Amino acid sequence: MQQPLDDRIESGMNKRETVSALADGQLCGEAFAQAVRWALDDAEGRQAWRDHHVVGDLLRSTDLASRRDGDAFVARLRERLAQEPAIRPVVVQEPVVAELPPLAVARDSANASVFRWKIAAGCASLAAVAALAWTAAGPLLQEERSRPQLAAVPASSSANPGMVAVANADGQMVIRDPRLDELLMAHRQFGAASALQMPAGFLRNATFEEAGR
Amino acid sequence: MHPAAADPSRRLCFGMAAAGLGWMALPAGIALAAEAEVKPAAQRDLRDWLALVQEASRRRSYTGTFVVMSAGGTLSSSRIWHACDGDQQFERVEALSGPQRSTFRHNDRVVTFFPEERVARFERRETLNLFPNLLQSNGAALPEHYEARVAGSQRVAGFDAHVVDIRPRDHLRFGYRIWSEKRTGLVMKLQTLDSHGTVLEQAAFSELAIDVPIKIDRMVRMMEDTAGYRIEKVEPPKTTPEQEGWTAAAAPVAGFTAMDCYRRPARAPRPGASGAMQCVFSDGLASVSLFLEPYDAAQPPKEQALAVGATHTLGMRLDGPWWLTAMGEVPQQTLRAFAGRFVRTR
Repeated sequence: MQQPLDDRIESGMNKRETVSALADGQLCGEAFAQAVRWALDDAEGRQAWRDHHVVGDLLRSTDLASRRDGDAFVARLRERLAQEPAIRPVVVQEPVVAELPPLAVARDSANASVFRWKIAAGCASLAAVAALAWTAAGPLLQEERSRPQLAAVPASSSANPGMVAVANADGQMVIRDPRLDELLMAHRQFGAASALQMPAGFLRNATFEEAGR
Repeated sequence: MHPAAADPSRRLCFGMAAAGLGWMALPAGIALAAEAEVKPAAQRDLRDWLALVQEASRRRSYTGTFVVMSAGGTLSSSRIWHACDGDQQFERVEALSGPQRSTFRHNDRVVTFFPEERVARFERRETLNLFPNLLQSNGAALPEHYEARVAGSQRVAGFDAHVVDIRPRDHLRFGYRIWSEKRTGLVMKLQTLDSHGTVLEQAAFSELAIDVPIKIDRMVRMMEDTAGYRIEKVEPPKTTPEQEGWTAAAAPVAGFTAMDCYRRPARAPRPGASGAMQCVFSDGLASVSLFLEPYDAAQPPKEQALAVGATHTLGMRLDGPWWLTAMGEVPQQTLRAFAGRFVRTR
């Protein structure tokens, strides 16, 4: 077993890989001892060890990275990549996934500090609630049967300007006038005498105010 | 009275004396609620549950998002903050849907800011202060018309809650289902149901955090910051039907007691909306407002019967040139029963 390892260490291409394997704890026994000896004694080995750890620290901490010559670095990287032998992509049959499930990772997202995204996230969750409520309200509307008939104002007499159409409990669109809105508001303000007022009743009245005060 | 003790023990003595006085001054509802809390959930009756949910909202600070859904399909939501400091109640409601508005409450004082119109509306909502006293006085009548029954438990907004069915004993009122959080008693969700069990309206916390510290002085500062806003004070004077020229004709609708009457202001720019008298009735859970006003024979309002969520409205002509608009969280037939309540004396 010794000989193949020595050969590996001697060949320059794999020296750095050996150091990497040593740092990752993948070597053991004789191979480990040999790699340690090489990392200590050989100048190239020591350099490889230092490089390995510097790169690791840089990758794990953005503070240490010097960003001064970022563009030059990218240019150099591109050159090196171009020099690498082209690898033919292996075709793998993957099941078609329509949508990836959200990752359940608890960490700050990159846009956590941008307020606009927080608003967007809030609106998205509200839209989700609305969607759920809409699905829930669907069967509710269908269940209504033989309720006392609510008189609907005939459409022909709705020539009055300023009338606001609203859906009543049967789902019909009925014309309502601003005067009624005013009284409704008065009822909510002064006529709300209920043991269930706090907190649900008061909050419901404060939330459920229609447009056109 | 107090021995010349070191500062800490003197403070302790004062503290205990103050707590003792404070305890006596607290509303009677605490006694009711404490009694209710001791009973296991299955044994609590309607008054126990109502006392419990009342006290929970008076004793706890909480913040969350509140969503109101009606069977008609409308969905509104708001962000709310509620804080208490002893007997003082503070609330802030930021509407998330509909026209932009912020509502602040300190006990019975309510201020609503409308940023788009730069108007701040001041009101005094006396009904909010009525409970738990109303519960004490009207308490006997409530169980005659409603009964409460625990129907299991469910999770709402991450909290375990008892589901309590409140069923009316007749067809003159609606039923309710409340989700009362197990630890604190706070109402997490409230449904208004008709006689078929259909949900007319639902109001619930979609998210909630209980017992969180909330900065009261900041809320008060926001409430008092009316710079740049036109102030509107909505405080209609109280009155009685007799003063307005009405007498009670028929017997009151079963279970409903007359609360207050207000003389509403006439809004000059809007013809036909001259001052109406608003009379409020309540059976403890449901309330009805009767608006009585003269109407312009040239432009008569339309007779109508509508529902907005759980609130039903009825508009009809009375004998003489008088118009009645009745509205409340009750079925239409109850509103019709109220129609004969008042007759004109002069």
